[in-house]
Formats: sequence, structure tokens, C-alpha cells
Amino acid sequence: MTEILLSAYVLVWPVIVAGVLFVLVRAFLREIREARKDGRPMI
Amino acid sequence: MQPMALGTTLTLLLLLAFFGITFVISLSISKKQENADSYMTAGNNVGFGISAASMTATWIWAASLYASATSGYTYGLSGPIHYGLWGALMILFIYPFGKRIRSLAPRAHTLAEILHARHGQSSQLLLAGSNLLGSLLSLTSNFIAGGALISMMSPLSFSTGVLLIAGGVLLYTLWSGIRASMLTDFIQVCAMLGAVVIVVPMIFFAAGGSSIFVEGAQNLTAQQQSFFSSDAFFNQGAPFIAAVLAYAIGNQTIAQRLFAVREDMIKQTFVTATVGYGATVIGVGMLGVLALYIGIDPADGDVNNLIPQLAAGYLPLAFLCVFFIMIIGSLASTADSDLAAMSSIVMTDIYGRNIAGKTGAKPQLMLLIGRITMIVATGMAMYFASSRFDILDLLVLVGAIWGALVFPVIASFYWNKVNNTGFTISVLAALAVFTLVRTGWLPLEGTIAVVTDLLSVVGIGVIAGLMIFGFFGLRAGVAAVVVAMLITLPFALGFLHQYPVLTASLLAYAVSAILCVVLSWFNKDEFDFDRIARHAGQFDTQNT
Repeated sequence: MTEILLSAYVLVWPVIVAGVLFVLVRAFLREIREARKDGRPMI
Repeated sequence: MQPMALGTTLTLLLLLAFFGITFVISLSISKKQENADSYMTAGNNVGFGISAASMTATWIWAASLYASATSGYTYGLSGPIHYGLWGALMILFIYPFGKRIRSLAPRAHTLAEILHARHGQSSQLLLAGSNLLGSLLSLTSNFIAGGALISMMSPLSFSTGVLLIAGGVLLYTLWSGIRASMLTDFIQVCAMLGAVVIVVPMIFFAAGGSSIFVEGAQNLTAQQQSFFSSDAFFNQGAPFIAAVLAYAIGNQTIAQRLFAVREDMIKQTFVTATVGYGATVIGVGMLGVLALYIGIDPADGDVNNLIPQLAAGYLPLAFLCVFFIMIIGSLASTADSDLAAMSSIVMTDIYGRNIAGKTGAKPQLMLLIGRITMIVATGMAMYFASSRFDILDLLVLVGAIWGALVFPVIASFYWNKVNNTGFTISVLAALAVFTLVRTGWLPLEGTIAVVTDLLSVVGIGVIAGLMIFGFFGLRAGVAAVVVAMLITLPFALGFLHQYPVLTASLLAYAVSAILCVVLSWFNKDEFDFDRIARHAGQFDTQNT
């Protein structure tokens, strides 16, 4: 039992990182689309 | 450990690919006629995706990845939490103050520039000077990390590694400043976060998976097996809590992104960066915990070798390349932010608001000054890196300078009675007390120890009060000061002075806060906050 919990403790961080990465990439792609639609530079 | 696992050709190809891609991205946004304001703030209108990615990438530097793993190796299960959690909260706790600062000065370039508008030259230069020093040390530290990594994983020398990293970062940041820094941060954060998602589980399963925790349990002490280790808290967590607000206030790289992001997206940007930073750094810190369970001894006794050792020992070549790019991404993203921050400070606080005066700043000359600043800073950081200065000790010192600035800076944005005299005296007095204690010139014995313990309790109250004040307002902040002091007083008396580094930092908070409050209380003049927006504005528009 302990080793399962400790494994989860080690592996939960990459899962959270994957979630953040998904949020960032989705927002970035949306911003690219909006910038192209409006004909302005992204930054 | 398999040193030089990558070889010269592969290392050069990886660096060429990494810096080549970032350079092409930088070229894609370059303008024939750059704008000085845009070079420093990216037009104050950057979206959530780029801003949050940039904030995350900037805050994750190579040292934080190495230090988190070291904390896991030294303190066990709770070690990475005591490194990564408090580092992440630095971003979160600065967000309410960031919103206030942005509302007072929507078009500002640096925090010090706002202090110039609020108080005048001495307050501005105190903050600008500490910002410059901090960024230079951070830049040096990242060059050292790059040189060390390249010399460890390839036959190339340390100096060659420093030269390659410094040249690569300068190449893509020089022309477009913060715009290049933020856009390339997005690519770098994708590389870094993607690598963490892949590398941490791969090493975990390659090293034996969950059986590590059964077979290696005897390698850990009781403290290292505890999630509530007092060793980890007092040696790693507590000094970090003291630094939470100081590093966020003192770091121009954070302020610069605060001025760049769209004003309505400040909250989600800071919250996402908090989670992204925390999970990434704690995740990499878990490699240190695994090394402890497996029973790995760091090569040459240097704990900074732990992560490269694990990577070289358990990852196939393709994933070793991914790991290499992760570390290069972490140090390049912070180094380019430091260059952009230093150029903004010299452009705005030294040239724009002081040398050029009220209406004389020439935007094109400012741009030239900014670019020269980047080149000079890169040269200085390369020199310091090759001289192997003890950067971490200097960073602790700069952190203390920022600790002395935190209360007067924050109070200046909310309390209209704080003036230049109160600000300057409180900061300088706090620095003097810090220096006396930190250097050991004032022995913490007898009555002095009692007084410093009492003042340290005030320092703890100030930190707790400021954190709560930012989110819940003045009454809750004052209540937090009282509660924190009452809780810590019985434990702190006769105890805290045994930790002189922590005591010195807490004294910096306490002395600056007490003097700033007393001197401001008796000040009869009241400042009009609307003046800040009028005096901390754009350079290009005022001259065109």
C-alpha cells in the first residue's frame, strides 16, 4: 500500500505538468488564430 | 554515471537546433524600426498563453531544478515540497500587488520607475540597483549551470559551454528585447514541461518502479521518510518563506511580465504560472528522492551532479537529448529574461528618468543603450562565470536587500503618507542591521539575542500580514500580523537566534517595517496616487 501511495506521490507531478502544458498550448493556439483573424502581430 | 555521454557533434547539433529555432522565432517578430516601449513592455497587451508560459519559464531556472533535486536527496520526501511550493507561492502572493501596481501605472516599464514617480531618485535607485545586481547574478548562475552541464555531458570544456550559451541567448534577445524573450519562452516552456512529463516517469520505471520504495527504505532516516520533517522545514522551507515576497518584489523579470500582460489576464496568468512552476520543480525534485531511495552517491560529492547522473544512467540516448534540452531551456529562458530586465532598467531608470530628464529621452538612443546593456551584461556574466564566484552566497545577500525593500515598496503603493525620507531611511537601516547580524559582527548572545528574537517575531508578523493583506485587505492583514506574532512568540524566544541567516532576513523585514510605519505616521503630507500614471508613462509617444 505504502509503495503505491509513494509511487502516486512521485508520478502526480508530471500529470499536473501535462495539464498545465495542455492549457498553455491551447491558449497559445487560440491567440495565434485571433491574431491572424484580426491581422495583427501576436506580440 | 557515463560522463560525456552526448559527444561533441551531438551536443553542438542540439545547441544549434535549440538556439537556431529560437533565433528564427525572434527574427519572425523583429521590426525594422523597433519601438523603445515595446522593447520593454511588448505593448502592454500580451495574451494569456504567451504570458503564463513566459512567467513559468522565467521563474524556472537551472538552479531551481538542481536545488529541488538536492532538497529531495537531502531531506527526503518533503524536501521538494519545501523547495517548489514556496517558490511557486512567490508568484501567487505577488499577484494582488501586481494588480494594484498595474492599475496605478498602466504604462510603466519598471517597478523602480514607479518609485521614481512616487518618491524620487534615491528610492528609485535603491530598487533599480538591487534589481540590476540580482539579474546579473542570476545571469551568471545560468551561464555557470550551462557550462557545467555541457562540460559534464560532452568533451567540450566549461568555458566553451559558457561561451555557447551566452552567445546563443544574446543572439536571439538582442534585437527585440522582451518581445523575443516572451515568445521564445513559450517554445522553451513547451520543451521543459514536455521533458518533465516524459523524463520523470521514465527514470522512475527504469530504476525499478514502486519496488524502489521497498528495497531502498533503509537508506532513509526517520526525518527523510516523514512528510512533516522539521529538518526540511527549518533548513529549507522557513528561509524560503521569508524570501517569498522579497524575490518577487525584487525581481524585475516578474515585474516586466506584469507590465506586458493584458490587464484583465493578470490573475489567470499568475495562477497558471504558480501551478506550472510548482509542479515542474517539485516533479524534478522527485528525482532527488528517487536517488536517495536507490542509494546513489553524487559524482565527485557534488549534489548538483545528481540529475545528470540519473539521466545518464537510466535514459536511452534519445531521451538524454530531451533531458539536455530541458536544462538548456530552463537556463536560456531565465537568462534572456535577465538580459531584457537589465536593459529595461538601464533604459528607463538610469537614462530615461535620470540622465535624459523629464522630456529629453530619445527612444532610438534608448534602444541603443538597451542593446549595449545586454552586450555588456553578457560579457560581465561570462567573466564572473569563468572566475567561479560563489554566486549562491551573493544571491542570499541580494535577497536580503530585497527583504529590506518589501514593506516600504508595498506600503508606497497603498499608503499615501509614505515619503522618500521614510522609505530611504527604513531601507538603509534595515540593511545595516541585516549586515551586522549576517556577517556575525553583532554576536547573537544575551540581551541582544532576546531583542533580535523579539524583532524576528515582528518580521514573521510582517511577512504573514503582507501576504494576507494582498488578498483580503488591511483589517485581515493587521489581524494576521497579531496572530502570527502570538503563535510564534513562545517558540521563537530563546530559539530563533540560533539560525543567524533566518534571523538576519527577518530583522530586515522588521526594522524596515517599523521605521517605515513610524516615520510615515508623523508625515503630514499626503501623496496623490494619480500622479504616478502621469509620471511613469511611455517614452515613444511623448516624443512623437
